[in-house]
Amino acid sequence: MNTRYTWKTFARELTALILAVVFCLPLYILVSVALKPNNELFTKPWEFTSSPAFGNFGDAWNERSDPSIGHSLLSSAIITLGSVAFLVLIGSLCAYVIARRPGKLSGLLYFLFVLGIIVPFQLCIVPLYAAFRWMGVTGSYLSMIILWVGVFMPLTVFLYTGFTRQLPRDYEESARVDGAGIFRTFFRVVFPLLRPVTGTVAIMTGLFIWNDFFASLIFVGGTNNETIPVAIYSFVGEYLTKWNLVFAVVIIALLPLVIFFVLAQKQMIRGFAGGIRG
Amino acid sequence: MVFVGPSGCGKTTALRMVAGLEDITEGTIRVGDKIVNGIDPGERDMAMVFQNYALYPHMSIFENIAFPLRARHTSKSEVRSRVERTAALLGLTEYLKRKPRTLSGGQRQRVAMGRAIVREPQAFLMDEPLSNLDAKLRVQMRSEISNLQRDLGVTTIYVTHDQVEAMTMGTRIAIMRKGVLQQQGPPQQVYAEPANIFVAAFIGSPGMNFLQATLGRDESGFELRLPGQTLRLSDAVVSARPALAAYVDRELAMGIRPESLALGPTGGPSLRATVSRIEVLGAESLIYVTLAGQAVVSDEMIEAAVDVDATAASTLKQEAEQCQVTLIVRSEPDTDVRVGDQVNITPIQHRLHLFDLESGAAVTS
Amino acid sequence: MSVQRSSSRLNRSRRIQVRHVPWLIAIPGIVLMLGLRFLPAVFSAGYAFTDWNGLSPRASSVGLDNFAQIFSPSGALGSLGNTLVLAAILLVVSNAAGLGLALLLRKGLKARNLLRAMFFIPFALSHLATGYIWQFIFSYKGPLNQILDSLGLSSWKHTWTGDPKWALYTIALVICWQYTGLTMIIYLAGLEGIPEELDDAVAVDGASKWMKFRRVTLPLLAPAVTVACTLTLIWGLGAFDQVIALTGGGPAGATETLATLVWKNTFLYGKYGYGSALALVLALIVTCLAVLQMTLLRSREEQL
Repeated sequence: MNTRYTWKTFARELTALILAVVFCLPLYILVSVALKPNNELFTKPWEFTSSPAFGNFGDAWNERSDPSIGHSLLSSAIITLGSVAFLVLIGSLCAYVIARRPGKLSGLLYFLFVLGIIVPFQLCIVPLYAAFRWMGVTGSYLSMIILWVGVFMPLTVFLYTGFTRQLPRDYEESARVDGAGIFRTFFRVVFPLLRPVTGTVAIMTGLFIWNDFFASLIFVGGTNNETIPVAIYSFVGEYLTKWNLVFAVVIIALLPLVIFFVLAQKQMIRGFAGGIRG
Repeated sequence: MVFVGPSGCGKTTALRMVAGLEDITEGTIRVGDKIVNGIDPGERDMAMVFQNYALYPHMSIFENIAFPLRARHTSKSEVRSRVERTAALLGLTEYLKRKPRTLSGGQRQRVAMGRAIVREPQAFLMDEPLSNLDAKLRVQMRSEISNLQRDLGVTTIYVTHDQVEAMTMGTRIAIMRKGVLQQQGPPQQVYAEPANIFVAAFIGSPGMNFLQATLGRDESGFELRLPGQTLRLSDAVVSARPALAAYVDRELAMGIRPESLALGPTGGPSLRATVSRIEVLGAESLIYVTLAGQAVVSDEMIEAAVDVDATAASTLKQEAEQCQVTLIVRSEPDTDVRVGDQVNITPIQHRLHLFDLESGAAVTS
Repeated sequence: MSVQRSSSRLNRSRRIQVRHVPWLIAIPGIVLMLGLRFLPAVFSAGYAFTDWNGLSPRASSVGLDNFAQIFSPSGALGSLGNTLVLAAILLVVSNAAGLGLALLLRKGLKARNLLRAMFFIPFALSHLATGYIWQFIFSYKGPLNQILDSLGLSSWKHTWTGDPKWALYTIALVICWQYTGLTMIIYLAGLEGIPEELDDAVAVDGASKWMKFRRVTLPLLAPAVTVACTLTLIWGLGAFDQVIALTGGGPAGATETLATLVWKNTFLYGKYGYGSALALVLALIVTCLAVLQMTLLRSREEQL
């Protein structure tokens, strides 16, 4: 509908803006505290400091060693990107079969995947931890990637299946008739069409994995491959009062995500729209 | 009233303005003698039928038809009786409990009509209501809607890009192009006396034939000069168009409908041409004849051609480059001409149309 | 001759392929799902009936003792209550707020993308970081109490996260703040799925705003409601990170949830058997409530 920008729209916009500002106040605190010199921490928490201590970021960066913050960031990046890549690859193929071979078996599998989303992950932690320790792989990147791929496979397959079911079969069938094999058909024809939902899957799972604290604490806590949330946690343990340094680390950990999100927000809405209708 | 024009000509926007779904930048819209600018769509007492029907997918057919009544807080018993009456009128009684998605295209179309009728509004607005139906159903619904409209006697504004629909359904039709009204009037008048070259080209199927010609004048009267031949204009044609004198030695566009061309020597001035294609349609045949000449290629012509089909416009341009014009002659089915024959074609002079090449306007008074 | 035969064989195998996508390519996903989600769950359910301490090679069966302890007054009933309260608050508040925001931001606004991003950022923040930011805000000398001071409401000041009366609600507030951005996105996606023609039809039919919302928008959003409610319910029942960051389960267990208890018992106290029993209880609650809620919402989807 092509409606004019009336005063009603303006009022709506203003309301939304005020709400958004209030909503983001904690983020203002995050930034403002991260820039405060030590002596100003609790004196005027609402005021933006007059002498921003950019050195806080440097101090925070250097505060930890074995592993350093830089190493933790790297660990987080490797684990997140590796997990997302395998999830997308394995999950989309699996969903493709479930969507294209309707029947009792795929119905049962689909049900299991949905159940896998619902059954809390906490239930799996103990045996997995025991198994990983028994195999002596706790703390390795590969074990974390395998863990995450298993944890998020249900959500991934669920989202992909919903979206794949809506895709017309014509393209892939014509590719198959033209003589393309199953892999060529999938990666050249189907996978590109799945792009919106791939975006959703990557964002959702990547976000959870990057930010996860619970499983990371258990599986890589105390090892050299601690991820960034675990690093932040130990930070608070050691320097409970130095909020400015804690918040500086939080911002360091947040920056890669914010940049990513600003770029990918629209994609996410579109992908969800597909998932919901599916 | 039917609005007709190629896609993107602004007819839907015009309709939506009447409905109140789009804001009007200037001017006023009146219903009776009430100005309705700035009044909410729901308060205008007009019902609308949408192109994709816009049925509420989660409601039963009954609820769909009842919705506008419920929006007006009509009492329950009245809602029931009015919905049932409407459903009976449209033959939907047995489907009232079903959901829209279980219905066929024609049935959904009727539900959309029902939702409009049940309100007993001052006006119906219909936005290409038949464009999503298959050809057979479209013809059937066309007459159903016409009958319904006549029975109910309610003013209806009907938007379509299909000129056959416009001609058969409208008591008056309005042809639009690029947001500008080109001509309005009863279908027959628009067909017989198009105000400009766009209307002439757009209305009619197969469309009017056009060719470019230079107007010549000698002691015995006016003639149209084509490469290699001339066509003398009858005195009646000339005297009906006083403005013609100003076009002497200038080029103008001549238009003639396929049924106004006769094959063979019938007396009267004729043109020589070669038969290039014959389409036998059963009740009649379409004879395509080619002659040397300049096709009329203007924006209006291309737009009207594109509306027929996408290749028509490129054919037009190609002909223009080759200095050839193809005319279509509507003839009796038992004609014995063959492809390649040389034939004489005789225009019925009083059905000849002449247009200014620059403005596209018909040359009349 | 041989060339011909091999090509005809190729043709036949290809025709079969065209008809069916092979199950083979689904196997890795299925194996990972079964091996990492369902097999451990079964094992875990087995531990729940033992007193295994995580170290000793032997574990002896204790029957239902672990469960008896969970449901005893000195057990985990308080945490169970906390978990349910958190989940209920999150479910109601984040869905109502997310739906409201989605309707507010739906269309026509100039700063729409910026506003959406602003509401969404908290969801992108790690739960732990969120917890710390709010812990600072709630601290005695922190921003919240300073506002109260400046408003002359000094008597309302609390050590919010340290007060057993308030601590649970501070956590509820934080998780609502964090998840509202996501529900908003889900509802926005749902709204985008409603054809614009329906909006026009509603306008021409003359329905009031409330009738439009109640009879058209909300029913058509039913699938989005199901997704958003299911996710928030699951996450609310599993709340862990924010609790650890804000209160660590304290004061005096006032904010302990089932998830924090699972972690503490297994990884801090070495009570694998008891921890597994807690995890099993949590899993059963989540599964039952989620399936129940989904069934209810799905039947609404059908009906409306």
